Parts: sequence; structure tokens; C-alpha cells
Amino acid sequence: MNRAIKHKQQSNSLLGHIKKHWFLYLMVLPGVIWLFVFHYLPAGGIIIAFKDYKFMKGVMASPWIGLENFRALFRDKDFYRVVRNTVLINLYTLLVGTPFTIFLALMLNEIRSKSTKSVIQTAVYLPHFISWVVFAGLIGVLLSPSTGIVNKLIVLFGGDSIYFMSKPEYFRSIVVGSSVLKNTGWGTIIYLAAISGVNPELYECAVLDGANRFHLMWHITLPRIKPTIAVLLILNVSSMFASNFEQIFNLYNTFVYSTGDVISTFLYRRGLLEGKFEMATTLGLVSGLISIITILITNRIIKKMGVIGII
Amino acid sequence: MKRKLHFNLFDVFVYSFCGLFAFICFYPLWYVFIGSISPYDRFSSAQIAFLPVGIPSLRYYVAIVKGPSFQLAFLVSVIKTVLGVAGMILITSCLAYGVSKSHVKGMKFINIYVIICMYFGGTIIQYYLLFSTLKLINTIWVMIIPGYVNVWTFIIMRNYFANNVPDSLEDAAMIDGANEVVLFARIIMPISKAMIAAMVLFSAVGHWNDWVSYTYYCNDIRLQPFVKILQRLLITPSLAVSGGTNEMMDEAVNIPPIALQYTTIMCAMLPIIAVYPFLQKHFAKGILIGAVKE
Repeated sequence: MNRAIKHKQQSNSLLGHIKKHWFLYLMVLPGVIWLFVFHYLPAGGIIIAFKDYKFMKGVMASPWIGLENFRALFRDKDFYRVVRNTVLINLYTLLVGTPFTIFLALMLNEIRSKSTKSVIQTAVYLPHFISWVVFAGLIGVLLSPSTGIVNKLIVLFGGDSIYFMSKPEYFRSIVVGSSVLKNTGWGTIIYLAAISGVNPELYECAVLDGANRFHLMWHITLPRIKPTIAVLLILNVSSMFASNFEQIFNLYNTFVYSTGDVISTFLYRRGLLEGKFEMATTLGLVSGLISIITILITNRIIKKMGVIGII
Repeated sequence: MKRKLHFNLFDVFVYSFCGLFAFICFYPLWYVFIGSISPYDRFSSAQIAFLPVGIPSLRYYVAIVKGPSFQLAFLVSVIKTVLGVAGMILITSCLAYGVSKSHVKGMKFINIYVIICMYFGGTIIQYYLLFSTLKLINTIWVMIIPGYVNVWTFIIMRNYFANNVPDSLEDAAMIDGANEVVLFARIIMPISKAMIAAMVLFSAVGHWNDWVSYTYYCNDIRLQPFVKILQRLLITPSLAVSGGTNEMMDEAVNIPPIALQYTTIMCAMLPIIAVYPFLQKHFAKGILIGAVKE
């Protein structure tokens, strides 16, 4: 056979590629194996949700019981409590945090001195790198009934000091407030990048037409970064059922379980500490499924609005 | 864009708002810092402190540094961070580089294989069972190995390798006789230094601050990372004070508990503050590099 043709046939088959690019395949091998063991295997372990898990028998040999675990979960009052808390906390954080982040980004953009802007940015990015352990500890110090600044101010104005951290009615606000403080600065990075992409000619034309800086912000900058806002909104809404274990675990206590216990903390206590594996897995599976469905739905809505989706 | 340079009311508002928010972000940490270097009796009686009260001294730091459980926890954190970051950069960059060559058969499939991981996964229960099967529970590896492939880092690296490394450079190297090993190690990686540096810093901060993997999967007190000691001191002080399961508290008994908290916070934050100037330079650039096609 013609050697040129044979060579061509060989190099377009999988085997041919492996022969030629063997180093590349070798490079991806550790990552692929790692992902299989440390991501796909645990993901497969979700089938515990459909079984009556007996530790002695292991995962594969435990008997199937179909949807029984799911029925038990939906009958459990705690399920509705933690889902409600998770969604409400995420919703409040979204409603408060997003406008605030956009506003801060717009403000940062208006700072004219480069050095001042740089100093301010250094300061606002800082909370993102502080662990929630430290941050929650600081919140605890701030809100302490005896030595906290907030209560000192309250007493100064004639009120009684309040033990904020132990009151269920304040807990969600504490969570949302601390989230906003911690994440807003960092969140401005993406918005600032989007703002810097706005065509300067638009501003110049508007100024010639008599616009002041507020007009520029409202009528040009904001509409131009709408796609970015939409994409980030999708990403945030899609994590509506995710719960930040690090934050809540370090802020909560037994008194605020009614409003503060979220899916991840509940899963940790029930599943890992109390050993109720099937129930915890079922809960994880259900919240994961809801998350995926939420992503798909919000993506649909955004597409209908005429903005590019992410999937 | 040149605007008229007079300072008006709008500017006052902008600067005050940003300044106030920056102050709120910075002051708590500053407060903790001066609390750790001021003698406690003077500090606690002062109402609001902007500067160190009394004569600043490092004696609280000295007391902590002497404590064996603090030393051990610090060492554990350092080992965990070094091994975790090194492993992650190695494995994820190799994975990302291979996948960036999308013309090679199978790489597109591997790309999907990795991206899908973002959308679902097992719960901590599944990981606990997996780790106990692999006998990783209660070892330092359970805090290190699970971080080895990071999908977010993978995406950024893959995009960078695909878009920001000129084909002409690779072709030139191949013509000069480099095989793919040399190409990757000697040419691609040095070019990607800025992006890799950003990823290293993020991963290092993440590993340093990670107390969750210990909480979920370990209970040996010798294995606790430094930030876990901090968590015990700040969040569950009852455990710390009672001294029941925590032998560490005997050496800290001479320091007022609040001063101990402040000083431990500063120790836990020290590595982060040390790398923060470098982070500043790299992160906005590093992240966006992965997203922008040149």
C-alpha cells in the first residue's frame, strides 16, 4: 500500500493520536483518575439514598428500598425548616448584596485619583481573605451583650443591651449583613471589569449633550453592564439552595436553629454526627437536584430576556 | 476620558461612601492587631481604640509561639498548604494543558468530564465513606488530597493555555527539536508565570484557612490545623476554657483570654497578610487573563 496513505490513516485514528501525543495523554491521566476516585465515585455513592444502608454490609450489598427515604424526608418537619432557612437567607443576601455591590462598583469607578482608588480597593478586598472563623469571631465581639460596640451605643441612648446572636429573629439579618460585608468588596472586581469595557465615546457624546455624572452612571454605565449583572444573577440564583457551612456554623448556636439552621449544617449534624447516612444523603441529593433545575430555569428566563445565557 | 477637574458635591459623596466602607472593612482587623500588642488591662478599659494603648509589646505572641500545640498546629497548616498547593498546581495544570489541545482525540470528552463535576457531586457522607474505605480518615492526607483538582482553576488554566500561548512559539520549539515534555516544562510554564502565581496564591489562602476538612474527617487533636485552634478559641470557648480535651490551654493560662483570641487571630492571619501585597498585583489580572482572549 502507498506509505503516505497508510501514514495518514494511522495518524487520524485514536491509536494514532495516542502514539503521537502520548505525553499529553500521560499528563491528563493523573487528573482523570483523581476525578474518578474523588468526584465520580462519591457521586455514585448517592445511591445510598435509595437503599436501607447497613454499615456492616457496605453500600452495594444493602437492600434497595426505592423512594422510601424520600418519603421519610418529605414527612420530616426539619426538612422544610432547613430548606426554608436556606432559601430565605440566600434570597435576602441576593436582594441586599447585589444592588450594594453594583453601587459600590459604580462608586469605585468614579474615584478619580488612582492611588486613592488603589488604597480603597486594597481595604475592601481584605474581608474576602479573612477566614469565616475570624469574621464570625469579630461579629461576636461586635454584638456582644456586655462589651460589644453596638450594645454600648444602645445603652448610651437609653435602651437595654440585647444578646443579638442568640435571638432567632435577628439571626438572618446578622448572616446577611456579615455576608454583604465580607463579599461585597471582592464582588466589585467583575463589575469593575465590565464597566471598564464600556465605550468611552458614549460618555463623551452624553457630556456634550449636557449630562452630569449621575446621568452618565444611570443612563450609560448601568445599561451597558446589564449582561454582566444578568450572568452574575443567574450564578447567584442557581446557588439558591446552597448553604455556606463555614459561615453559619461559626455564627450559629442551638438557640437560633429555628431560623438559622441551613441544609449544610443540618446535614452535618444529622448525617455525620448522628450517623443517619441515608437521610443525609437523600437530603443532599434532593437539594442538588433542585439546584440543577433552578439553574436550567433561570437560564431559560435570561435567554428569553435577550441576554446570553451561560449554558 | 478627560473630565473637568473641579471637585464637586458628587465627588464628596463618592469619596465619603467609599472611604467609609473601606474603613469598615479594615478597622476590625486593625482593632484586633492593636489589641494583640497592647497590654490587656489598659486595652479593655479604653472605650474605642485607634492606636495601641499603653506600651506595645510582643509578649502575647511570645507566649503563643512557645506553646507546643500552637507550634504543632502551625506546622500542620504549613505542611498541608505546601503539599496541597504543589499537588494542585501540578495535577490541574497538566490536566488543563492536555485538554487545551482540543484537536487531540479524546480531549473534548475529558473537557466535558471535568466540567460536569461542577454540577453535581456527593455529599459529605459519601466522602466520609470513601475516605474511610481508603483509610484516609484521621490522617493529614485527607486535608490535602481532596484539593488536587480544582475545576475553577482548571477552567482558567485551560483558557489561558488555549488562548494566550502563541502557536508560533510552540511550532518554533518543536522545530528546534523540543519534545512535548521540554515544551511544557521549559516554555509553556514560564510563560504562564503570572497566571500560575495567581492560582498558587488563591489555593494557598484556601488551604491555610481550611478548618472544615479537619472538622468533617478527623478527630485526632494532633492533626488540627492552626485555624482550627482559632476556631476553638473564638467560637467554642467553653471547650477551650474547661481544658477537658484541650491540653493546649495550660500554656495559654497566663494570658487573658481575650488577648489570647486577638493574638491567635493575628497569627492565623499573618501568612495571608504577608502575601496580600502580591495577591493584589496578581488576582484581578490572573482571573481575567483566563477569561479574556488576546
